[in-house]
This record gives sequence, structure tokens and C-alpha cells, in this order.
Amino acid sequence: MLNLLKIVLAFTFAITINNASGQQSKPTLPGSTKGILRDTAHNYALKSATVSVYKLSDSSLISYQISNNYGEFSFKNLPVGVSLRLDASHVGYQTLRKKFTIPSDKNFVDLGTIIINPKDNTLEEVTVTVPPITMNGDTLEFNAAAFKLDSNAVVEDLLRKIPNVTLWGDGQITVNGREVKSVLVNGKPFFGGDVKVATQNIAKNALEKIQVYNTVKDKSNPLDSTLTVNLRLKKGKELGFFGKIGGGYGTDHRYEADASFNVFSPKMQLAIVGASNNINKSLNGINTLINNSTFKGVGTNVEYQPDFRASGINQPNAGGVKFTYNFVEKPTWENKNTVTSSYFIQNTNNDFVSDSETTTSINATDKIFEQNTNTTSSINNRQIFDAKYELTKKNKALTMSHNFSKNKGENINETFRNALNTQNVLTSTNNTFNQNSFDNSRFNFQVDFRLSQNYMKPKQLIKGVNVSYGITVTDNQSNRSNLTDFTSFTDATSNRKFDRRYETTYNEVNQQINIDLPNLKSLLFGKSDLGGIDFQLSNSLNLNNRKDDNQVQDLNTITNIYINNAYLSNHVETNYIEETPGLTISKSFYKNLSNRYNKNLSLNFAPKQKFIHQENRSQQSFQNITKNYQRFMPDVAISYSDNQFGEYYKSYSLSFNTKVRIPSLDQLAPLTDSTNLYSLQRGNLNLKEAVDREISLSLNHYDQTNKNTLNYNLSMIVGFTNDQIVDSTFIDNQNRRTNFLTNANGNRYLNFYGDARKAFKFKTSELQINLNTQISNTKTPGYTNSLFAFSKNFNTNTSVTVNYTYKSYLALAIGQTYGTYQSKQEAFNTVYSGVNKASTLSSSYNVTKKFTLNTNISFNQSSSSNANDINFTIWNANAVYRFLKGNNAEFKLSALDILHQNTNIINYGSGNSFTIGSRNVLQQYFMTTFSYYPRQFGKKAVKK
Amino acid sequence: MLKKTLSSIFVCLLFAFNILAQTSKVDSSEMVTLRIDPDAARGAAVSQIFEEVKFIPLETTKESLFGSISQLRTTKDSYVIYDYDTKSVLIFNKDGKYRAKVNSSKVTADANEKDKQVFYGFNLIKNKDESLIRISSGKNYFFFDLDGKLVKKEAVGKRNAEDRYIKFADSITTIAPFHIYKNGKDSTNYEIAILNNKKEVGLYFPFESERFEKDQYMGGGNPVTDYGTANELFYIRYYEYNLYKIKPKTVSLAYRIIFPASISIPKNFMDMTEYKKKRVEYFEKNPNQIYGISNPYLIGDNIYFKTNSWGWSQDKKNALVYNLKNGDLTSLKNLEPDTLSQFLPVTDGGSFYDFTNNGFHSYENGYLYTSYSSLALFTFKDLNVGKDRKYDPVLTKFFETQNKKSNPIIIQLKPKKN
Repeated sequence: MLNLLKIVLAFTFAITINNASGQQSKPTLPGSTKGILRDTAHNYALKSATVSVYKLSDSSLISYQISNNYGEFSFKNLPVGVSLRLDASHVGYQTLRKKFTIPSDKNFVDLGTIIINPKDNTLEEVTVTVPPITMNGDTLEFNAAAFKLDSNAVVEDLLRKIPNVTLWGDGQITVNGREVKSVLVNGKPFFGGDVKVATQNIAKNALEKIQVYNTVKDKSNPLDSTLTVNLRLKKGKELGFFGKIGGGYGTDHRYEADASFNVFSPKMQLAIVGASNNINKSLNGINTLINNSTFKGVGTNVEYQPDFRASGINQPNAGGVKFTYNFVEKPTWENKNTVTSSYFIQNTNNDFVSDSETTTSINATDKIFEQNTNTTSSINNRQIFDAKYELTKKNKALTMSHNFSKNKGENINETFRNALNTQNVLTSTNNTFNQNSFDNSRFNFQVDFRLSQNYMKPKQLIKGVNVSYGITVTDNQSNRSNLTDFTSFTDATSNRKFDRRYETTYNEVNQQINIDLPNLKSLLFGKSDLGGIDFQLSNSLNLNNRKDDNQVQDLNTITNIYINNAYLSNHVETNYIEETPGLTISKSFYKNLSNRYNKNLSLNFAPKQKFIHQENRSQQSFQNITKNYQRFMPDVAISYSDNQFGEYYKSYSLSFNTKVRIPSLDQLAPLTDSTNLYSLQRGNLNLKEAVDREISLSLNHYDQTNKNTLNYNLSMIVGFTNDQIVDSTFIDNQNRRTNFLTNANGNRYLNFYGDARKAFKFKTSELQINLNTQISNTKTPGYTNSLFAFSKNFNTNTSVTVNYTYKSYLALAIGQTYGTYQSKQEAFNTVYSGVNKASTLSSSYNVTKKFTLNTNISFNQSSSSNANDINFTIWNANAVYRFLKGNNAEFKLSALDILHQNTNIINYGSGNSFTIGSRNVLQQYFMTTFSYYPRQFGKKAVKK
Repeated sequence: MLKKTLSSIFVCLLFAFNILAQTSKVDSSEMVTLRIDPDAARGAAVSQIFEEVKFIPLETTKESLFGSISQLRTTKDSYVIYDYDTKSVLIFNKDGKYRAKVNSSKVTADANEKDKQVFYGFNLIKNKDESLIRISSGKNYFFFDLDGKLVKKEAVGKRNAEDRYIKFADSITTIAPFHIYKNGKDSTNYEIAILNNKKEVGLYFPFESERFEKDQYMGGGNPVTDYGTANELFYIRYYEYNLYKIKPKTVSLAYRIIFPASISIPKNFMDMTEYKKKRVEYFEKNPNQIYGISNPYLIGDNIYFKTNSWGWSQDKKNALVYNLKNGDLTSLKNLEPDTLSQFLPVTDGGSFYDFTNNGFHSYENGYLYTSYSSLALFTFKDLNVGKDRKYDPVLTKFFETQNKKSNPIIIQLKPKKN
């Protein structure tokens, strides 16, 4: 509650700031004007012409619009008693200019009929001004030159200026309320397709125009289509480079450095990136690095710093190259020929420390408390090399890709565990020390071919075919040594000490072949209609071969020599074949009323038969198990869509699926490693396969009105499992656990997800609201010391975010997250529950064009029914100063965790236990960073 | 428009010029050449082109709700329309009041017919004052009166070309499109045959029967148009800008239209073998070139027609009126509403899609008919807000009681003859 109060106060404060600066802006203006454009040469009113109003004195754009069906225009909110200029333009017409003043006594002037003349083909017209918006056929175009912005502005700043465009907090773009599905640069995806790479890097001055058009045109429904935005660069600017080089150093030897260099030409794109830090900034791939080093223009962004919350201390170093070549300069959906390749290397050092206590109910009265202290440090080296080739021609598409990765590393783990009984008396300790080094490599090759129906050839027998083949080869090697020390305080005879070494290798080859034959009706039944029922045949074959080799040695404490452990040393080969032929029977119902609505109901029934063959050959004879499974799996899907023209589009879907999970060899007949006394695994040869039956339901709603749209999505999955493979755990009073596996019925789960978003666009500011929530409810069966019990878990997570931006000065984001968990064991009469809450306020304020202040503060509260509340506040702030002519250089002073309270809390419940504790995190530091952004669009002008 | 274009793409063979002895010669002695630049077409006030404009909103009830008009014919006291969305024929009184409906439930299949009875249009059989709606479905013709009652059912028998026959007023002469002439063992296909008491008196434009499999043809709808003059029809051929006139005895080339070179197809387009079976691709690459003309009506001194091209834009001036006397070229999309049309557009060309898709539905008894959606009418009305427009009682009532989802509106236009 207190948090909420703080937020409200903060928001009130923010609004006050906003009002203060709001007074500096222009008040609502009283003037208005109207008129009609006429082409007298052709004798008609000119529709779709751009009409713009400028202030005569400094030629600044005040307002603009497109003339309507009758050639009319009408402006409000214009200044009175000031000389104004009206420009009217249209393709094929000479730009018309007219000076006028709105008299202050009337606040209105009727410009009457204005005559606009067709372009004279013999005269080359000198374009005086570019209209801000034009209709070019069916393409809406915003001309960059018409919008006066700071010389260092980027495309994003321009987008914020355009009244028809909304730029969402999460990066989504909508035009006139409709979602933009893709953003292209000169008709092609730009450096991996992330919108921000294009909009936060490309200089507004390199842009000729922003084109908005419909990609899938359904002319029977004039109001329905999907939108594409294409950023068309100026001639000569279609080649260039941009990037960033930066470094920072701070207290506690904190540092960060990154470099990104990107070059593009009409057909080629090349990115080279590298970075290193010890401040938990994750460097997971080339795209992350490119996305993190965008230039950003002059507008405000709420700086988001998720890395600071990451657990552990991580020190990543990474670098990579990515290359894309388009053989077709202007690719379309039916003509595309592209090759992409990338190489990435990453080296990470991690240090994790965690302290936690887990409480487990073993019956209605007794509990066991396990205190766990864990220290892990690891070094990891990862290399990825991949390439992809895409070829699309008319109704054929071929994709080939390969991916090679190599992962090498070492980790050291130390765990101290104490077990206490209900009376809080120490019963046993189990301490382990593990040292592990690994080296694995993985190669994957995938090819997909898709042939779809050619509507030009209606007599084609085979209407389409989809074929895909994939092969994955994995090689894994690891060496591990383990020291375990189990001490019992109640029974000294059960004390154990181990010093064990493991040398394990495995090699796995996995092959997957899928074939689909859609639209089989005409092939099977000729021309008969069959009531609109169609068929598809599909087959999926998975072949897997895996060879495991484990060599285990124990130290003989007398001779001090490691000797082979004949029980755990083993060689196993597993062959797995899964074959699933299937048939899909589908029928669709359409209901269409021109200009009113379009409804579609489709039913799919897909019976499949799954055959699984699992064969294990081992040196241990009891592991020589061959099992066959087969199951009939009828899938059903129903979907319904309702498109009410100009109002909304709704879609519902309901489906029923079956999944089979077969027991693995480790579940059937494992080799029990006795070092882990707190969790000894035992198998069960009689295990049956678990069968999940799942019903999913989803609902999407898209507003099609133009203003203040509300969109939402809901989805829910309910599942029931038969023969769930569950633990039957025996816990003794020293917390020694032995897990037997068995089948049990009654496992149930329910997952719900919902989100909603709404935007309000005002003249100079914008408000966006985002809500999303997740709920999961599970009922899991299990045995504890032979007592059968269901444990019921109920978890929720809800967040609300409100984003507010005022002109290009101020951006505010307020967020509240609320998460709960509850875990209940009726048989033991225990309930565990907890709540995690966080309230966040972030703001960004441009003090001057070059100087920006950012701050974000979050109030966190973690409470649990069985422990004291934990409260902590994290406050970060930074000041950014940009300098040099092109704002290319940046100096940044940041202060993180100013209050020195950053904590990473463990607080969750599962099964018949709950855990609370904390992990190590990065804490307070101060850092100064210097960055330089080299950027150039087009060739450098030759100096004379 | 695109839908129509795609639906009229056929694949076939270019026919060899084996001029057969029996082929009649097209008379071109009275041919008139018209030079037309669509870009130069001018606008006009509605009252300069039409002398009468009437809006007829069609009554919306649960029973009468339909999508859009794809076929419209008139009788003395009613409108008969076909709606593709509901696959039904609806009959409305002249004042727009709903009268009756014929849908698939009224068309029963024979016991031996498996497929569901669906029909895609109708024929209006006029006999003095009585009109019958003929629906062809499955193996039968169904005849309905204007109250939607089944009058009779006749077996079509062997389906033949007679379905398409057009009878001239003298009731002896029949025009047979796509006629097969049999001469002993041989048979030849003709695009047009003139029959007199079932005997061929004229055979025009021979073609190979497999032409649609050997090449691609793009058309713009029915090649034969009745423009309201007794014993006269217009005929249009693929990839030609010519208007042929069919009369009881002859087929003559009446008008040859010449467009500017930049928007015309090459003269020998059909002989250019490099585009054989690639005509669609050719027009995809040359979207501004006109592949044909359609919907021609000769009304007094005016020729109404549409130009068809692959490229599509709301601004394109593709529905034109050419005045044979003074050479004035008017664009129907650029007509300006005036008092005659209650300041409402007479077609939805340039804003919505009904006029672009269908052109005029028909020309009957001196009136042209078009239609647009309620959505369009309300949009046009909204643009008039604040201009103190007065509407007649019919439209006033419509705007008060109906909404954007009501039935479409028929617009009845009486074109001026000079």
C-alpha cells in the first residue's frame, strides 16, 4: 500500500513538472479556415491533395491534411492576426501557394475555391517545399524534409512527430491505430529486422520518406489489411555506416567496453561487434550487441536497465561478424534470394553465491529444514557459426541452414547443506565439492522445401507439398571430480565420504524428416465437392542414436589410488525411433456480407498414430531394455474469426492435443550414484508412459477504429495427465532421500495468460497503458514416505505499465508488478504462500538538446507466510551529455544502486516444499563512460 | 476488379489463321476512329451528364439482408438482384421495399443429383407484361415469379450453348456467342454466329477450341453488351480496343479506339510468342497498359466504357464517357455532386469498390443502374456535415432509421442523350 502511495506522489510530482513546462508551449489557438481545391483545366475538385499551412515569417509548418472526396480542406487551431502561407500539392500538379491571414476579430477565414494547375510537362518545376504527407496511389508517404527537426535527429524522432503514428514503449509501431507488421529499409529487413536498429540509427536527414502501405490486399474488404512501413533512403544515401565505440570505468574496478560497426549498401549488410564488461550486461548474440549500441536521436527514452537485476557476478567478453547479401535488390514475397552468415564467440566468467532454506513437509506434523549454501564459479567459451540461404520464386520456397556451435568450459561448485528436524535440531550435513570441465560441439543442418498451390494452373494434381529434413550431431565430453562428506548426528554408522572421478562422453545423432501433402481432395476424389471437406496427409519420422560412455573411479583411501567403479562405469547405446503418420480432415465455413462483416469457422480433425521404439544396449545387463509404445492421438482444432469492417477483428481458437512422454532409461533402470545422499535416484522397470491431454483456448481482439484503440489477447491451457511419472520419496530423519519413480493419476494443470494495451494520443503528449497477467494452477500427485498426497500450487504474476511522453522533453514510465504463490498439501494440512511486489518509476528528462537526466527507482517487497518481509529499494540515475557537431560523442555519468540495497530474493513454493533465500548480485557502483558514434549515410562530399 | 481480372484469366492456344471459307467478313466501311487520352478526361457536374438521379435504398430486414449487388435487372414494378454473398436472388419493389427472395432452399435437386444446389446468377425472361426469373441449377431450369414462387421446373436436357443465346426483336434472328459450326466431320468454333431460324447466316471470328488452354486471356466481363437499342449489340474481343456492332444481318467494326502509346499494348501483341502463356506476367510488368475495354453503352451521342489495366489506383480515370459530336471526354469518377444528386456522389468510384468491380449493372428503358453500400452512403453524408444539405424524404428517412450495415442503395441515372 505504501508503495502505491509513493507511486501516486511521484506521479503527481511528474504531472506538476509537465504542467510547468506545458505552459511554455502554445495554448490552443482560435483561428480556423477552410476551402476547396479545384482543377479548372479538367473541371473537377481535387481530392487526395496535400494542403499544408506554414507561418510566413519563418516557414515553420503548423498543420497539414489531405483534401477529402470533394476536394475540401478545413483547419482548426491556427494563429490569428499572423501572416500564414498555404501550400497545396499533388502528383501531376504545380504546387500552389497562397498567403492569408486570419482576422483576429472573426477567428475565421473562408479561402473559397482555390485553383490548382496541372503540371506543365515542358517545364521542369522547381520544388519549393515538400508537402509533409502525400498519397501516392495506395501508399501513404510522410516526407522527411517537411518535418523540421534537430540535425542530429534519427528516424524515431521523426516518427514521434507524425500525428498519425504511435511509437509504443515496447517498440511496436502503429499507424492510425493499426499495428505495423514489418519495418523495412529500402524494401529489405535491416540488420536482422529489429525495428530499433533502423529507427534509432538512421539519420532523419538520410531519409527521403516513410512509406506506409498494405501488404496483403483483400479488395473485397477495403478496411482490412496488414501494414508495412518502408523507410526509403535518399538517393546516394543507400550506402553508409554507423556504429559505436565506447568504454567506461568505475568504482570497485567496474568496467564496460563495446564496439559495433555496421556497413550497408543496396545489396549487402555487414556488422562487426565486440564487447566486454563486468557489470552483468548480457552479451548473448550479435543482434543483442547491435541492438544495444544504437545511436538514438534527440528524443527521450526511458532507460531500461534489466541487467543490473541479474543474479551473480558475470564477466562476459564477446565478438562477432554478421553478413547478409540480397541477390535480389528489391525482394518481394514471391521473389527473394538471400544469404546470411554469422560467427560469434563469447567468453563468460560467472560467480554465483546463494543462501537458501527449504522447508519440506514429510507428514502432517513433521517438517525438515534444509539450509543450503552454494558457491559456483564458471568459465565458459562458446562459438557459433551459422549460415542460411533462402530462395523464394513464385509458389516455391527453399530454405537451407546450418549451425555449428562449440562450447568449452569449467566450473567449480561447493555446496554446504544442513538438515534440521521439526525441533530445529541439526540431524545431518552433506557437503560436496565438484569440479567439472566440459567440451561439447553440436552441428545442425536443416533444409525445408515448400511448394504451394499455383492458382494459374487449376488442373495441377498435387496442390502442394512441404518437405523438411534436419540432422543434428552432438558430441559431448566432460570430466568431473566429486568430493562428498555426509555426516549424521544421530547415527554415526551412516556417515559417508566419497572421492569420485567421472569421465563421461556421449555422441548423439538425431534426424527428423517431415512430409506434408495438403489439399488432397481433388487428387483423391476428383471434382466432387464432398461438402467442402479437404484432406492433408502428413508423416513425421524421428531417428535418434545415442552412445554414452561413463568411466567412474573411486579413491581408495588406503592406497591413495583411484580404482575403477565397476557398477557406475558403463557403456550404453540407445536407439530411438518415433514414427507418426497422420491425416487431417478439415472443413471451413465462411460467412461474408460485403462491406459489413467476414466470419470464418474452421474445423480440423487430425487423427494420428504414434509408434515409438526404444532400444537400450548396455554393459549392465539389467539395462538391456527394449520397449515399444503406440498410441492413437486424435487432435482437434476449432477456430473462429469475426471481422466487423471498421469496428474490430476477433479470433477464437480451441484445440485438443495429446502428448506422450515415455520413461527414459534413467527412469527405468538408473545406475544409482550414492554420492548424493540427499537425493538418491532409484528406477522402476514397470513405469508406463505418461499421457498428457491438453485443451487450449485463445482469444484475440484487434480494434479497427482509428482513435484510442484497445487491443487484447487471452489464452488458457488446461491439461490432465494419466500415469504421470512421479516421485515416491522416502525421507529419513537425517534428510536422506531416496526417490523411487512410479505412475500416478490425477495430475492437472492450468495456465492463463492475458494482456491488454491502450493508447491515448494527445496533441503534444501521449499516454500508453499496458496490462498483462499470468496465472498457473497445478495439482501434482506424489508419495512422501508411502503417504499419497496431492500438492496444489497456485501462482500469479501481474504487471501494469503506464508510459507517458511529453513532446521530446520528458518520458515517464510507471510500473507495478505483483506476484503471488501458494502451495498446499491437504494430506499434511500445510499451506505455504508468499508475495513479491515491485513498483517502478522511471523518467528521462532532456534538460537541453545535449544534456539528459535519467533516473529509475524501484520499491521491492518480498513476503512469505513463514518468514519476515524483505523490503529494499533500488535507485539508479545517470546524466548524459552529448557533444561534437553531430552529437557523435557521449559522456555519461551513472550511479547504480545509490541506496546500496540491491538484493536478489529467492522466494518460491513447489510440491510439498517452499524455499526462501538470496543470491549474490552486483551492488552500488559509480561509473563514467565515454562513447563515440561514427556514422555516415551516403558518400562523403568531395572537398573542393 | 482484380477478382474479376483473375477470374477471367484463361489458358489456351493462339489460333493459326486458317481462314475458312464459311467465315464471314467484318464490315469496316463505317468505322469511326476515336482518339482518347484518359488522362485528359474532364470532370463535370452530375446534372451535365444526367437529367435524373434517384437513390433507392433497399429495405433491410432479417429476411432481406444481403451483401452487394452483382447483377441487377428491372421489370415494370421491381428490381431483381443477385447477391454473391448469400447466393440468392432478391426481389424488391421499385420503391425499395422487400418483396421476395429465392435462395438455394427453393431450388431442390433431383434425387440422383448429389451436389448441393447453388446458383450464381439469373436470367430474366420477359414476356409482354409478365417476367419470370430463370435460375439454372444442376440439371434443371427453375422458373420463379416476382413473388419468389416456383412456377415451373424444366430439365435443361443436354446443356448447350442456347443458354447464352440472345434473341433479336424480330424473334427469328438469334445471336449465338461461342458457336460451334459443324460441317460434316469437321467443326469450327466461332466467337459470334448469327442464326436465322437456327440456320447460320453469319459466322465471325473463328478460334481454336483449345485456345484457353494454350494461352492466357484477360477479359473484363461479358463481351456482349445490350445498350438498349433494338436489334443492336456491342461486341468486344480480347486484347483489342475495338467496338463491334452486331446487327441482324452483319457484324461491323463500329469504333476503333486509339489510346496514347504509353498505355497501349503493342499492335501485334497476340503474335508476340515470347509472351505466350505469360500474358499475366507481361501486364504485371506493364501495369499501366490497357489490356481491354468493357461495359460499352451507346446512349444518344455518348459512348460509355471502361478501360481495364493490371495496375490499380483509386485516382485512375478508367470509367469514361465520350461524346461523339463534340469530342468531350468525361471521367465518371470525377463527376461533381450537385443539387440533382442531393450533393451525393452518383457512383462510389474513387472511394469504394462497387463501381470499380461492376461498372453499371444495366441500361434499361433509358436508365443506367449502379449501386453502392450503406457504408459508402453514410461516409459521403458525413462529408456533407456542416454544409446545410437537405435530402429528399426517402434519404432523410434512410439516414434517420438505418446505419452503415444496412442494405446497399441502388442509384438510378437517366443519362442525357446529347
